[in-house]
Amino acid sequence: MRGLTSRPNTMIVLGLAIASVALAARDPVWTDTWVIVGVYVLIALSTGISYGQAGILSMSQGAFAAVGGYTAAVSTLRFKLPPGVDLLIAAALPALLAYGLARVVTRLTALATALATLALGSVIEIGLRNMDNITGGYIGLAGIPGIGMIDTPLKYCALVWAMICVCVLMYENLVNSPFGRALNVIRHDRVRAQADGVNVPQLLSAAFAFSAAMAGSAGWLYAHYISYISPNSLDTQTSISALLMSVIGGSGIILGPLAGTVFLDVLVRHLPAQELQGMFYGGALILILILAPTGLLGLVPPLLAKFRANRGSRRTTKAARVKPEAAQ
Amino acid sequence: MTGMLAATGIRMSFGGLTALKSGTIEVAAGTIIGLIGRNGSGKSTLFNCMTGYFRPKVGKITLSGRDITGLQPHRIVEQGIVRTFQTPRLDFDANARAAVLCGFYPARTSTFLGALAGLPGVRREERRLAEKADHIIERIGLGPQRDQPLGTLSMGQVRLVEVARCLAANAKFVLLDEPAAGLTREEQLVLCGQIRELAKQGIGVLLVEHNFFLIHELCERVTVLEEGAVIFVGTPGDVARDPGVLRSYLGAAAEYAGGRVAE
Amino acid sequence: MYVLTEYIVRGIQAGSIYGLLALPMSLLFATAGTIDFAVGAYALLAAAVATIVAGPLGIAIAIVAAISAAAAMGVIFLVLTRTGTRDHIVFALASFGLAVAIASFILWQFGTQAFVRASFSQFWSLGGIRISPQGVINLGLGALVTLLLYLLLYWSDLGRMMRAAAANPTGAELAGIPVARIQFGTYLAGGLLGGLAGIMILYSAGLDFTASLSLTLGGFGAAIIFGITSPLRCLLGGVAMGVAEALAAGYTSGMVTAMVPFLFVLIVLSVSNIGGGAMAGDRP
Repeated sequence: MRGLTSRPNTMIVLGLAIASVALAARDPVWTDTWVIVGVYVLIALSTGISYGQAGILSMSQGAFAAVGGYTAAVSTLRFKLPPGVDLLIAAALPALLAYGLARVVTRLTALATALATLALGSVIEIGLRNMDNITGGYIGLAGIPGIGMIDTPLKYCALVWAMICVCVLMYENLVNSPFGRALNVIRHDRVRAQADGVNVPQLLSAAFAFSAAMAGSAGWLYAHYISYISPNSLDTQTSISALLMSVIGGSGIILGPLAGTVFLDVLVRHLPAQELQGMFYGGALILILILAPTGLLGLVPPLLAKFRANRGSRRTTKAARVKPEAAQ
Repeated sequence: MTGMLAATGIRMSFGGLTALKSGTIEVAAGTIIGLIGRNGSGKSTLFNCMTGYFRPKVGKITLSGRDITGLQPHRIVEQGIVRTFQTPRLDFDANARAAVLCGFYPARTSTFLGALAGLPGVRREERRLAEKADHIIERIGLGPQRDQPLGTLSMGQVRLVEVARCLAANAKFVLLDEPAAGLTREEQLVLCGQIRELAKQGIGVLLVEHNFFLIHELCERVTVLEEGAVIFVGTPGDVARDPGVLRSYLGAAAEYAGGRVAE
Repeated sequence: MYVLTEYIVRGIQAGSIYGLLALPMSLLFATAGTIDFAVGAYALLAAAVATIVAGPLGIAIAIVAAISAAAAMGVIFLVLTRTGTRDHIVFALASFGLAVAIASFILWQFGTQAFVRASFSQFWSLGGIRISPQGVINLGLGALVTLLLYLLLYWSDLGRMMRAAAANPTGAELAGIPVARIQFGTYLAGGLLGGLAGIMILYSAGLDFTASLSLTLGGFGAAIIFGITSPLRCLLGGVAMGVAEALAAGYTSGMVTAMVPFLFVLIVLSVSNIGGGAMAGDRP
């Protein structure tokens, strides 16, 4: 137990998850929403890891999620794999794909990586749309079975938020390790990282693969929950939304993507028209980049510091009044 | 600890320009060796060849007899050869402790997956590393500044942090690239003290410098480069008196200034 | 034989659109080190506006709309530089936000309709090869714009200042060149050229609200094929991409054809040195 207190982010997410799932249980609409939000949180988290920690601006997380979802669909529909086993493949396949690509991607600057992954995501999307015999083409695949005992929306909700807690734990573990520090150095200055003994391409590939596995598992859950997947379910739009949610919440902060996703999702539901979603996301991104470049959660530490400084100065003035001679 | 880092006959060209014709230098464990020369003499090129950033086609770099020529920079670091940069490459928003912690990477004991899983070994290691980092920072005299962002420290203190990072990496050889640039005389003396400490611990130090004060204070032997080749090897005192070196630095005024420089 | 030639001709004509999109890409990359992801959105905006306002007036208003959107991006860029942003990726992200916003605006106002106009009902025939008149116009416009841009860059004072700003922004600033204003102007050029491309697409293959990022990627791909440095290379890159697409359409499946611009981007980025920046500039 003592180990967990050194993982504050995990504790916060655990508390949030329990509270929110309990709340969502009261209304089937909320439950359904909260499952989908959970899927997006996972994908946004994966973007946070690859961009916020490793500096890899990946626009293919949606594609990795789609690969995970289609893997889930094909393995359970066609190969009749038992439930849960397909999670391993759904996470592993995108990870392998990412690892293979990483050799290309990790050589590039963040900007070039964004373009390369955008192109890759589009290629995957087109492939999925056209490989009719495997993926069902435009129509997609329907009738995906559930995951064993997980058969009600509430159970899915609990599952996805449990997955989020596990992912945040792994993320926090990574940050508090030599690899997390090395990734941050890479993001800041690759030459410095090399001089610290870091094998830059290898470490970046590992981080990228990890983020792809996370996105793949989000796709896995999505496919089983909706029991249907099509090329439009998880696509470039998803990647873009995930990136925006991650940056708006604070990509370098562990819980940033989560905050961004929840914040944007809640607000988007109050928009007069669904089509305005893009204008809202785009506008929010631009505002954040100008006003709070480290994201919404990035505003917290300076505010906390100011708060502590005010409290501290009040305390010291009190002490000075009480014991003036001690201030020598 | 008998170790020797040696470069022999290194030749390096970029396009049509031969920056280094025959670079040769030896650094034994526990010694401080200087490498000087005018701008364009090839010292940076030799330095970068020894640290793996350039791959020479002719010549050899050896570590205790083992050929390490052309190894990738991170592999060179794994061999225990660590370098600093002329313009400090540090995250100026991070604090000194974070900077020093990054130096421990070569000595890591966990794997990437192990770190993700949060194995108990990793957590123990983290605690140990934090203690070691604090210890090193105390030793270089930056204890009070440990939690301040590096951007608020003076250049002298930043250079010390860089040296501390090398200590963290369990270096056997430390290669310093003009560490005195931008330092006041007091800061230079502090730096000298720290460099001497390194040598006392058996670490071999290669010091590339323009600042002859530091060379004179620290180095037991100096190699002088000119136009890509070695023109003199000797003690700092000998170097200051050698006419060839003086001509290289001072041109025709060398003979006139000869006696003065040796002071 | 005729069929192959016809594909190639078609490809060259379509490719000039990519070339037009590539020009502002390379300009902005050279002067500001970043990408305007919204260039495709400017094209989309222009096409949409020209759909509701017919004729030459519509085209004029459409181009103005595209330039205005680009001006908004330019302002965002200037504001970001004032807030001390040093990272080039931030400008690109902001343009991304704008691209998403514009596409959403189009969806909201115009729905999911495709914007396409038939311009010429008759095809010309040259030696047995069908040539679309609109395609000839596209190619002609593309070549003309490339020529004008080349003249601007290499024969005018403004061009010299732009090249100076691209080569060394700090040095240029110190020499009195208004680098920020030039960069702003480059964004505007993206609006103009993107808008023009949008009109050309409107009268050729057409597009819908999902096209903006694909167009941007296509423009980028065209820009980097032969190196991102000069206008002529952009046009040639566009033509190469157009021809590859046309040949793919003729001889392979629809899937491969759709992938062509993206594969170009992937292949060129993997193989060349563009975009690799680990040790660019300073010595280690």
